[in-house]
Amino acid sequence: MTSPPNALCFGDEFPANGAPCLVHVEAHGLTMIVLSDQDAGERRSESVPFSELTVSAGGLDHDQLVATWKGATGERTLYLKNPHVIRAFRQAAPDHLTISLERAAEQVRQVRQRHRIVWSIVGGMLLIVVLGLWFGSDLLVELAVDRIPIEWEQKLGESAYHDFLARQEIMNEGLAVAAVKEMTHRLTAAIPENPYTFEITVVKSDVVNAFALPGGYIVVFTGLMKKAESPEEVSGVLAHELNHVLQRHGLERIVKQLGFTAVVSIVLGNQQGLGGVMKQLGVELMTLKFGRAQETEADLTGLQLLYRAKINPNGMITFFQRLAKKDEGRVEWLSTHPMSSSRADRLEAEIAGMPKQPPEPFTFDWTKVRASLGAHSGGSP
Amino acid sequence: MKSEVLYPGAFPMVRVELAEGEHIKAESGAMVACSPTIDIESKMEGGFLGALSRKFLTGEKFFFQTLRASRGAGEVLLAPTVPGEIVVLELDGVNEYMVQKDGFLAGADGVTINSQMQSMSRGLLGGEGFFILKMSGKGMLLLNSFGAVHKIELKPGQEYIVDNSHLVAWSTTTTYNIEKATSGWVASFTSGEGFVCRFRGPGLVFIQSRNPGGFGAWVRQFIPVAE
Repeated sequence: MTSPPNALCFGDEFPANGAPCLVHVEAHGLTMIVLSDQDAGERRSESVPFSELTVSAGGLDHDQLVATWKGATGERTLYLKNPHVIRAFRQAAPDHLTISLERAAEQVRQVRQRHRIVWSIVGGMLLIVVLGLWFGSDLLVELAVDRIPIEWEQKLGESAYHDFLARQEIMNEGLAVAAVKEMTHRLTAAIPENPYTFEITVVKSDVVNAFALPGGYIVVFTGLMKKAESPEEVSGVLAHELNHVLQRHGLERIVKQLGFTAVVSIVLGNQQGLGGVMKQLGVELMTLKFGRAQETEADLTGLQLLYRAKINPNGMITFFQRLAKKDEGRVEWLSTHPMSSSRADRLEAEIAGMPKQPPEPFTFDWTKVRASLGAHSGGSP
Repeated sequence: MKSEVLYPGAFPMVRVELAEGEHIKAESGAMVACSPTIDIESKMEGGFLGALSRKFLTGEKFFFQTLRASRGAGEVLLAPTVPGEIVVLELDGVNEYMVQKDGFLAGADGVTINSQMQSMSRGLLGGEGFFILKMSGKGMLLLNSFGAVHKIELKPGQEYIVDNSHLVAWSTTTTYNIEKATSGWVASFTSGEGFVCRFRGPGLVFIQSRNPGGFGAWVRQFIPVAE
């Protein structure tokens, strides 16, 4: 027949964590039966008229109704949480208590509303940050990259460059080296306000590849030169790679890989801590792949560079289209630079839009250059 | 269900005696030994979402284990991971406790475990995270601490200040505010206390005599760092 307790009563003779008790709301006031005394055989019951009660909101979340009064054996504090009891209390309470009850209820409402407001503000801010990162990450990355000095970029590229070259057979002289130097010179001379000192190395290898590292370090494989039918084709690749450097694409990728913290630390000006991380990453630069947007940018700016250097820009397209047809899967450069038809169409459209100008020939004989590399005359194998 | 704390002190263990059909849920991994009549089941308390929220929000384990005396009466030995005391509390249906995220060891089946969101200031500054465990219902509740447990009894209106990293559990009839340990910001942190909780009664506050974060930092200085 014992009902479960619905309130906790605190007072001098009760335990510190409160005595569980059963509270009934009656017309004149409250009746409280202390249940912890059951074992002792006696059940203490106390009735308090409403006139002796003061009420407030209490508890950890301010969601409990606290009623206090002066009992015969000292002060009593009752914590009510059961919604049925609280409702009955509010209905039965006389006018003088209604004001304090409303004040307590208002307090609970205020606390809840404050929680809601604070959490919605925090939620909103989180959403803004997430959306901002989602849509504005490229902008943030650009902002961060702009703040990295060129010397830093050079140091970063340099270590990766020397690491790579230490394991390769380098060509220091010969027709091929002279030809690549001339092409590079023609191209770099056409770059307005060039902050980089480009360093180009020809590596003896049958791999058909060429790549650029941040800071202006460019590697051309002899395999690529053997496959090219004209110097314009090699110039096309060089123009594309030079523009990866000029547009700082490598740095953008690194900063993206480093993530948000790095971006924030660069934007806010702390470049010291970042240096170590970037040096570590420098080793991984070889495997760096550029994004589609970066490839398109390097294509278009590369074309413009070829045009300014008075080199026939068609070589850029024909070379890769030809390679894509014949050597698909074997040409390393194509695995990172797939020549899709849309990419070719875009380049062709761009060339068509440029005013016509007679290209200036190179001073070297391309057939001799290729022959010096051991390529069969008359084109690709 | 009867329980007895064995080897009280730093490395205690609890023996829980279960009558046939009775069961107890414990933190996963808490079972040390048991009678052959006991079946161990893994259970996601509060359903999948409840378990998920507990795992991600409070850092508690995803699964609780249920130890059921399905084939006759038997006993179970339980122990926490960290050295420290075990407290046995009896919930009577009206007494409720908030428990910090590593504090739960085991509870009778009548004990309900919920993760509850704290207010912004308590979540940010209290050191317990935004979500803590709320224990309600009826039955035995076993909590564990890091170090010894000290019980603070607060009368209505009585206040007490506790370093937030030493909290284990507190009654929901108490309230607390987070404050700086000293009046100045700098001194608050140089004193080593940072933020403290000002508790106000009535109710109980259980604190632990050691600070897990502080201990972690102390151990860390002896771990060799690879260059």
